[in-house]
Amino acid sequence: MAKAAYIGIGSNLGDRTANAERALGEIASLGSVKRVSSFYRTAPWGNPDQPSYLNAVVAIETTLSPRTLLERLRSIEERMGRVRGERWGPRTIDLDLLLYDDLELDEPDLRIPHPYLRERAFVLVPLAEVDGRFETLRDALTESELAGVVRIERESVTEMPDQRITSVTERIAVLARFLSENDVARVRVERGDEAIEVTAGGRGLSSLRSREATAESASARVDTIKADLVGIFHLSRPAPSDGDAFDGDRELGYIEALGIRTPVHSIGPGRIVAVAATDGAAVEYGQALFLISRGR
Amino acid sequence: MIANRGEIALRINRACQELGVATVAIFSEADRDSMHVRQADEAFCVGPGPAARSYLNIPNIISTALITQCDAIHPGYGFLAENARFAEICGDHGLTFIGPKPSVIALMGDKATAKRVVREAGVATTPGSDILASVEQAEDAAASIGYPLLLKATAGGGGRGMRVVNDASELARAYAGATAEAEASFKDGRVYLERLIREPRHIEVQVLGDEFGNIVHLGERDCSVQKPAHQKIVEETPAPNLSALARGALHEMALQASRFVGYTNAGTLEFLVAGDAAYFMEMNTRIQVEHPVTEMVYNIDLVKEQIRIAAGEPLGYSQSDLAARGHAIECRINAEDPRNNFAPAAGTVSKLVFPGGPGIRVDTHLYAGATIPPYYDSMIAKIVAFGDTREVAIARMERALRETLVEGVHTTIELCLEILASPAFRSGRYDVELIPARILTNGEVGAR
Repeated sequence: MAKAAYIGIGSNLGDRTANAERALGEIASLGSVKRVSSFYRTAPWGNPDQPSYLNAVVAIETTLSPRTLLERLRSIEERMGRVRGERWGPRTIDLDLLLYDDLELDEPDLRIPHPYLRERAFVLVPLAEVDGRFETLRDALTESELAGVVRIERESVTEMPDQRITSVTERIAVLARFLSENDVARVRVERGDEAIEVTAGGRGLSSLRSREATAESASARVDTIKADLVGIFHLSRPAPSDGDAFDGDRELGYIEALGIRTPVHSIGPGRIVAVAATDGAAVEYGQALFLISRGR
Repeated sequence: MIANRGEIALRINRACQELGVATVAIFSEADRDSMHVRQADEAFCVGPGPAARSYLNIPNIISTALITQCDAIHPGYGFLAENARFAEICGDHGLTFIGPKPSVIALMGDKATAKRVVREAGVATTPGSDILASVEQAEDAAASIGYPLLLKATAGGGGRGMRVVNDASELARAYAGATAEAEASFKDGRVYLERLIREPRHIEVQVLGDEFGNIVHLGERDCSVQKPAHQKIVEETPAPNLSALARGALHEMALQASRFVGYTNAGTLEFLVAGDAAYFMEMNTRIQVEHPVTEMVYNIDLVKEQIRIAAGEPLGYSQSDLAARGHAIECRINAEDPRNNFAPAAGTVSKLVFPGGPGIRVDTHLYAGATIPPYYDSMIAKIVAFGDTREVAIARMERALRETLVEGVHTTIELCLEILASPAFRSGRYDVELIPARILTNGEVGAR
């Protein structure tokens, strides 16, 4: 049974927005993303000489145990902080497991709820945004504490529709039509826990795959579109950006590998929560490219 | 780029680090937290858990090598290591494949072709006949090869269409049985005869060749300790209880065959040995799992040599410069249950202690808390012991195995201790029947 988990994202090195978006993409592979807070610029805690932080909170549903989830977060931190030639280099991203279901845990290396939770504005402000239960705690913060947390203007807070979107067969039909109309060899769409891949050839529809055939898809609200091959990722022109709403089929980008361009599509209506990969950068298998909120 | 996983990916990474070569690791989604991913300079996920879609995914592997601007690909062992087509594709994309030429991989990769080729080079293969047209022809062939014999189906596999023929009186009946069974199983009733080598030893010779025609051997490894499905578990060098004459002949045969095919990079020629007679079996055109024992006694880093050779450097030494010193033994620690027909055991390692101290080398990708995915080979560590003599090496290995603790999965540690303690292994007079006939059947493994 999937459990709700809240993860804090923090970055104070390099391109912080890009780091946070990439982290969001990586976190999307640990479960299904339910809500993403705004991004906040926050004053550094402790040493005031440090550059300011970017903070955000993401709510996911996951089947991973708290400890496995923590290990996965550590591994994302490590991979993202990788500096060529430097094995255990500084981290460009901090990921904290804030809450896990209604679990209370007090072990040397894992405390849930996270100790920051009740006192730190940089956690409470974004957390209250994704979960109303924390509004009271946030409102109890002093004005000076709140002043240190400034929302970065971007269209990233999304209302997640509750209703079931189209059925699987309807969506396959849409994809198949897309293939025949656009002379494209293959299209792949991932949503929550399921992936649909339609390949042209024969009757134009050759494969349907559904990961974890639990009935999770009905409650999936933010979809992750992932790379299914290794190559260089490019955004389509005009470049889609955070907050863009779209209807129907939208080509969002393509992956270039071994001289072949494989398009990346999404079926609307939907809105881009985050462009998780960088235009012109290398992407690996399974890397999140876009987070899409379904519905209008 | 290191196109592999597990301990060999780490092993290659270590050689690269020491040479000052930057590395790119590839991994499957199941190996995201694996040690080889952490240790490489860069790492790319190339597919989901099943190897067919990740470690064998040639387009994603080549694409990764190109976008990370790799110069060369080391394939390790298994996966794509002996895939001539992959080696060729690497070349097509301007990537150096660290191994022999694709044509040589193809030539030696087919067992029948490899045997024909080494016979041309003057190397002995198991005596046998051509395909037999009649029982009369079989009788003539049998008389010239000599008994005991094995009748084998040319389309065969899995023991079907195979008969043991102890003497002439059994031949006619075995011939009828084998042809009928082969016909029924493979729709191809053709059979041939081969000398049956009873209780053979499995001894292999390491060779190293550069691109300037220099080829050396680095001694032999005795790999006769094998699990029932011919999987090696304990290897040692030098081979015990082998006459100087037989040893020299083995080395010479390996060099002769390697020179004949223009072999480059690291390779291994496997021989069946019975008494002083040796017959070529097959060639492995890659680095072997058990290469560390050779490294210990020759004090040569074989993986570094592979990289240097692929970069076009000459060997820089000749056969007379090489001398082995001491004795080395390797035990393979697999996550599997010897009491349950060696069933692989996937799971999470809760506690882990590896041995140390004088003369011990451990090659492993394992760490406490690591999860062993179900998709791949079950080997989790190789423990290598070195000593001035075989006795010292055995004592060190026993001590090292007792120091080792792996909790959370079944392992072959106890089985390795049983093997080391067995009188046959102690005396150095053992063959491929050691585990099936003497260890598993005496009940000691089950009793512990």
